[in-house]
Amino acid sequence: MSDPLLEVDNLTVQYETDEGMLTAVSNASFTISEGEFFGLAGESGSGKSTMAKSIIGGLDENGVISDGSIRYRGQEIHELTDAELSEEIRWKEISWIPQGAMSSLDPLQRVSEQALEIGQVHTDLQDTQIREKLKKTFDIVGLQKSRIDDYPHQFSGGMQQRAIIALALFLEPELVIADEPTTALDVIMQDQIFKYLDQLKTELNISLLLITHDISVIFESCDSVAIMHASQIAERGTTEAVHENPRHPYAFMFKEAFPDVREPKRDLTVIEGYPPKLMGEVDYCSFADRCPWAAPECRAEEPASEPVSDDDPTHEAACVRKEEAYEMYESGITDGESEHVDSEVASTGEVD
Amino acid sequence: MTEQPVLEIKNLKKYFEGNRDILDMIMRRSPSQIQAVDDVSMTLNDNESVAVIGESGCGKSTLLRTLIGLYDMSAGDILYKGKPVSQFTKSDWKEYRRNVQVIFQDPFNSLNPKMTVRESLAEPLNIHGLDNKDERIREVLEQVELQPAEKYLNRKPSNLSGGEKQRVSIGRALILNPDVILADEPVSMLDVSTQAAVLTKMKELINDFGVSMIYISHDLSTVSYIAESVKVMYLGRFVESAETEQLLQSPKHPYTEALVSAIPIPDPTHGRERTKMSGAPRDPIDIGEGCRFRDRCPEVIPPTEIEISQTAYREIMSFMQLLQREQIGLDRIENMIGTSERTAMADALQSEYFSEELTGKNQSTLRAALTSLADDEQQIAIDTLQNRFESVCETTPPTVEPEPGWHVACHHYNDMDSADEKQTPLQHTDD
Repeated sequence: MSDPLLEVDNLTVQYETDEGMLTAVSNASFTISEGEFFGLAGESGSGKSTMAKSIIGGLDENGVISDGSIRYRGQEIHELTDAELSEEIRWKEISWIPQGAMSSLDPLQRVSEQALEIGQVHTDLQDTQIREKLKKTFDIVGLQKSRIDDYPHQFSGGMQQRAIIALALFLEPELVIADEPTTALDVIMQDQIFKYLDQLKTELNISLLLITHDISVIFESCDSVAIMHASQIAERGTTEAVHENPRHPYAFMFKEAFPDVREPKRDLTVIEGYPPKLMGEVDYCSFADRCPWAAPECRAEEPASEPVSDDDPTHEAACVRKEEAYEMYESGITDGESEHVDSEVASTGEVD
Repeated sequence: MTEQPVLEIKNLKKYFEGNRDILDMIMRRSPSQIQAVDDVSMTLNDNESVAVIGESGCGKSTLLRTLIGLYDMSAGDILYKGKPVSQFTKSDWKEYRRNVQVIFQDPFNSLNPKMTVRESLAEPLNIHGLDNKDERIREVLEQVELQPAEKYLNRKPSNLSGGEKQRVSIGRALILNPDVILADEPVSMLDVSTQAAVLTKMKELINDFGVSMIYISHDLSTVSYIAESVKVMYLGRFVESAETEQLLQSPKHPYTEALVSAIPIPDPTHGRERTKMSGAPRDPIDIGEGCRFRDRCPEVIPPTEIEISQTAYREIMSFMQLLQREQIGLDRIENMIGTSERTAMADALQSEYFSEELTGKNQSTLRAALTSLADDEQQIAIDTLQNRFESVCETTPPTVEPEPGWHVACHHYNDMDSADEKQTPLQHTDD
């Protein structure tokens, strides 16, 4: 871990809708270093997929980056045109393992043909070189090299998943963005995939941006984590720091909502309500309506993300009550004036 | 227990017929059999909640569908309060369907989008001709914590969140006061923040209403919140069943062990080891006899007479399985090395499929088999390998009870007093 590879600074992303500007990401900042596995966690509707899409310039038509910057190796990404992005960044620098990867292969093309297409668009490599690279990557992800000319249907589900991962990796990108790569898979298969990702980290020093709702996977596999709630990053830091000493109420409640097989009878925390749909500027804490410790100042302005202590400047939380909330949670005190409103369902307009 | 069980499943089988093309018909070949549920037995007592856990494709959903009569049984029987389902009359079925209710996986699609909550909940009452509808509907909404009822009665599913939809589904299942609830992954599509609430609510209702439940899921990490005992299913059969906490703590069957040890631990300092398993479960087509897990089992048992390391034996077994399923890509190997000469082919096969070094008789047997294979003599190759390497796991292991209430179907536990006794005690890695 050394130089910053990706820097996201005060990023705000909005969607133009009939009802006005819908804010999906508000003032979010984080950095990913070389060789770092970074996890972005949150419920559905938190804006985490929007964040990922904005990094590779893949926002939907109505999505705009309203503020802030995304720098890849110091270069501002949203100043590049789509053609420049394709030529310089996509696939060879930053690649993408899509959500629902199993259905992302073209059923009518051999895997090698799909690789050639990617290689021809994004690099100047000869076809034979592309095939060689694909073979090498097949070997790393545990597929037989001789199978690069197979059609997708000749692979089992797990093998297709690995073929997708091979395609995301064969041009040796520096950063891989994986959006819920294992969500539809059984635990054994999920573990197999992460075993390969671990291996790639050691062998190729790749960085990973892992987007998932499953915080147990992040705690296990990532170096750092950011926990997102309705467009805002609630807390971020090394996985150890956030696990040991969570400060933002959403961070520790989200963490405690997950079962742990080591403690099969532990009470799971329930977070009432759901992430709100935010219109216009978000000048308040988006968790305030669900937070048992919400105070008037939570609704007065967007809480600044600040280091939780002097000895670890990378561990930041965006909560005005970060000093005491966790202790109050631990001793079972709730004094907030929260009025979570289960009824106001924000129809089907999902942010992510 | 002297009480009669609510539901008793006896050697239940559900086979599907595979596709048969015109050539198969002309040749009068019998269609392939998909053994989705294969000889499954269990009892469900009053107010008991049992989980059936397994990966996708293990047959757990087929089991559930057979239980509610969506599929006909191929063999075996289901007894509802002592009465066999196979002899049900039409009115028996109606009573059965009233008393055995289902909660489906997907709350987003299992409620009729055109019906309000009131209509959805009234429908079962109408079908079974029950009165006091309004009162009953309000009562149920209160029980599933959709309060105040007025707020929800006239909403359609599109105006409910995922958790609320699933609560309506649960209410709909409870409204007829059933004896049994069959729940198919009821929380897997919900966000984790509501998962816990829905699970706890279900557990409470089971207790309050004295309902029994079969809970079907692929997720072992939440099962302790809902079921006292667990049955682990693999390719159509139960391989292990035990009390939930015991099973999670010290699984006995190698498959359960692999499953439990692959569950992520939400703790960066824990350092869980990644799975040693490779591949995925095979398709349950014409799989005949034998332990269902033998093609992936990290502890498959070699014949006592031969000396071989577990890894090397595992490779031979996996290769044999591929060979029997005609999945060895001879053409591909030939293309790769550019010749079909038998020694070169045998060399290429060995380096493609085997990484462990073999010696003596083990190596010469393998070599002979690979050479036969290079000559396109698949059957001879299989026979050669089977002759030397056939495992006891090729026969179906009986289900034994090594500890009271703990059933395992694995040859490692069979015949405990002989030399077969399991050498390495299976343990859940705890720190």
